[in-house]
Amino acid sequence: MQPLPLWLKSGRVQTGLVIISILGVCAVFAPYLAPNDPNEQNLLAILTPPAWADGGDPMFPLGTDSLGRCILSRLIFGARVALTVAFTASVGAMIIGAIFAHVAGYFGGWVDWLIGRVVEIWLSFPPVILSLILMVGLGTGLRNVVLAIILVDWTRFCRVLRSEVIVLRRRDYVAAAQLVGFSHWRTITREILPGTLPLLITLMSLEMGVAVIVEAILSFVGMSVGSETPAWGQMIADARQNIYEAPFNLIAPIFAIFFAVFGFNILGDGLRRTLDTRLTQTERT
Amino acid sequence: MRMFATIANLLVKRVLTAIPILLVVSALLFCILRILPVDPAAMSLPPNATVQEIEAMRTEMRLDRPLYEQYGIWLNQLLHGDIGRSIHFRQDVTSLIGSTLPATIELAVIAMMVATVFGLAGGLFLFYVRGTRAEAVMDFISILLLSLPEFLWSLFLLLIFGVFFEILPFTGRLSPGFERPVVTGFLLIDSLITGNISTFFNALEHMILPCLALGIALSPSLMRVLRSSLLDAYQDDYIQQARLRGLSEKRILIRHGLKNAILPTLSLMGVQFGFLFGGTLLVEIIYSYPGMGNLMVDAIRNADLPIIQGAGLTYCIAVLVISIVVDSLYLILNPKLRMR
Repeated sequence: MQPLPLWLKSGRVQTGLVIISILGVCAVFAPYLAPNDPNEQNLLAILTPPAWADGGDPMFPLGTDSLGRCILSRLIFGARVALTVAFTASVGAMIIGAIFAHVAGYFGGWVDWLIGRVVEIWLSFPPVILSLILMVGLGTGLRNVVLAIILVDWTRFCRVLRSEVIVLRRRDYVAAAQLVGFSHWRTITREILPGTLPLLITLMSLEMGVAVIVEAILSFVGMSVGSETPAWGQMIADARQNIYEAPFNLIAPIFAIFFAVFGFNILGDGLRRTLDTRLTQTERT
Repeated sequence: MRMFATIANLLVKRVLTAIPILLVVSALLFCILRILPVDPAAMSLPPNATVQEIEAMRTEMRLDRPLYEQYGIWLNQLLHGDIGRSIHFRQDVTSLIGSTLPATIELAVIAMMVATVFGLAGGLFLFYVRGTRAEAVMDFISILLLSLPEFLWSLFLLLIFGVFFEILPFTGRLSPGFERPVVTGFLLIDSLITGNISTFFNALEHMILPCLALGIALSPSLMRVLRSSLLDAYQDDYIQQARLRGLSEKRILIRHGLKNAILPTLSLMGVQFGFLFGGTLLVEIIYSYPGMGNLMVDAIRNADLPIIQGAGLTYCIAVLVISIVVDSLYLILNPKLRMR
């Protein structure tokens, strides 16, 4: 048997992967795992407590919300929106951010200046405000949530990766590649990209956590997916109306968001520790 | 004297670069909101208005002109302090923002203090336990904390202290029955000026949970940066020198370690405090706190474009001001930059 690669041996990476896999299974097999239809209203059983509490109904393991919908089923289906947004938005933001970062860092000069100013303008907007304004402009819906997060968060990648590219560009092997007559495209993809890849993967993992939070925020204020799609942020907004009668309804989605974000963060932290060559070298010495 | 000159220099430079940024931001805001499929003219008229009336309104609001011309008109009004009238509230946007901004600033400033205290204390503690078993535990806890954004902290604290223990208020700024003094618009300052000590403490009590939520959410990243900057600083020779001179560890930490490690922490704070200012939006909604965040979300729900534009621009100005202030602080504390 082949030995595990170094990064897979890290306990943090394993924890993160396990959490994300659990969520992934929930999202993919939601119709089979959920005990009830997440949108089915049961007005005779509104705000029932969890099954283990007094007055709980085993039909609804985690109780029901203000319209009598099953909390557990909505949590399980909510993983679909959260993970879809997490994966697509972070890949999109990564691609745009990485392209701009490599172009700016590699070519320098006025291109770098221009991209630097654009990033500066973006950063003068608090991310929450910018994504809300974009959602007003784009209109609600899953696709637009993803688009808004990409348009807000590409700068996170661009800023960090650019400085990494600038360091790598000064390396001898890059100069050698240029001397041999590699095209700019080939130099960037063959010589520089392999160097920035570890950082890129780490950032992407962290960005997935950010995307989950942003989606929850947007659906909390009613600016994300429509009400027919269960989302964790919506569940929080709904539970807030009945905070005294059913505090557990609020705890369940909070925990789900926290669980997902923690999974992505601990994965990112583990990857950062194992993939960053400088860090692993100093820790070994 | 020299220090004041360099700081003044920096301020002028930063304000000059802020102007083009604001121009682009305002143009972006204007364009994003103008491509919307909503018609501000139809919205500001009663639902039974005729097509002719709507057309007349469009001409009056100059919506029939080309986009760049509309932007020019809007910008010109903006420079004269007029951001238009709210379609929904039927009030000047300037006065709406003027009445909500102080509340948000009070919230943000106190939250920043909370974040600084927790961040510094936590960072020093993380550094203190370096190399021990406790470090791994603390490190893990700090990732746990990093995974709870201010929005979840707000709900969490509200549940614990507001609903379960019922020891702290969690809606609005004052309990019913308290008169609101108005002098500067800043409630905490106004209640002190007018000598209403009980109002002051009531307002402060209402701010505990929102400020804690914002402050706690921000502190883990500050802790981690302070810890790693302290570790970097302790690699330098001057720490060893100080040890050889027989200084106490406490003195080394405060006079040599912290003094050098505080700079990278400070430059992160500039960015983070900008984010915190945006984070107030959700905290305000959750605690029904009458600040700009609630105004903004109301405006978004009613597609009230003038408010969205005005409030969006105000948030940007706030972020730029915060980053300029932090940069000046950086300069005051960093002798290396001061000499140039």
